[in-house]
Amino acid sequence: MRPWGFVLLAYGIVWGAIVCYSISLRRRYRRAEEELARLRALEASQSHAPK
Amino acid sequence: MVESFKSSGKRKGYLGALALIAILVGLYWGLLRAPADAFQGEVQRIMYLHIPSILTAYLSFFLVFVGSCLYLWKREKRDDILAYSAAEIGVLFTALTIVEGSIWGKPTWGVWWTWDARLTLTAILLLIFVGYLMLRSLIEEENRAAVSAAVLGIIGFLDIPLIHMSVYWWRTLHQPPSILRPDKAPWDNIHPAMLTALAINFVAFVLLYFYLLSHRFRLGEMLEEIKARKLRGEP
Repeated sequence: MRPWGFVLLAYGIVWGAIVCYSISLRRRYRRAEEELARLRALEASQSHAPK
Repeated sequence: MVESFKSSGKRKGYLGALALIAILVGLYWGLLRAPADAFQGEVQRIMYLHIPSILTAYLSFFLVFVGSCLYLWKREKRDDILAYSAAEIGVLFTALTIVEGSIWGKPTWGVWWTWDARLTLTAILLLIFVGYLMLRSLIEEENRAAVSAAVLGIIGFLDIPLIHMSVYWWRTLHQPPSILRPDKAPWDNIHPAMLTALAINFVAFVLLYFYLLSHRFRLGEMLEEIKARKLRGEP
């Protein structure tokens, strides 16, 4: 492999891994936000339900 | 300190934008603007990733250490969330450091890997914190998992001074620090354009790190709230 090949391999792996981690974090964050919103709505509807 | 991670969405957006700009400027300086090294040639450009990523990993494990100590002392959940969040991102940056080092090692040392003291201790650091993450998912009882992880987080952090001193204590293939040396100022040891490229990339990594940490910390808080609400809702 030529010198630039090593450089591009290193940069590609590093930024590829960081982008993959960012996407996975964003997905987990979204899922948690949706779940929390669902639970909050459920609790609100239960507290307003006639007894 | 924990309060500073609870930044609003707008502030996180600014931090993300700033990190992105710094990354792009860092790539420009690292790949195009800085000159090639007189001895190593173009492969030396891997340094602009390698040093910032290991320093970011150290910063991350320092936060694990602080969060773990605070959790053992005060037993506040947010300190545990901080330690857990920092450990996850620290593992990513440590793994990347080892991969970059390996790619840099092949053309300069002739090997992808060698059982050099610094490399081995860095691999041990990675294994300790992979163990930290596994511990958290393997122990079901939440408080026991947090306490065990905090103890392991503190022990794991103690590996960092060993990694730093390894190049002085043992005869290693990895060179001692060549920029931050006690006998000379950094700008006397390296070409100014190389130092600028390194500094910009370091700032970019730190900004990116705090951007990721702020999101991971908030995710941890949300997961705790979900758990608490589900427990409250159980009959």
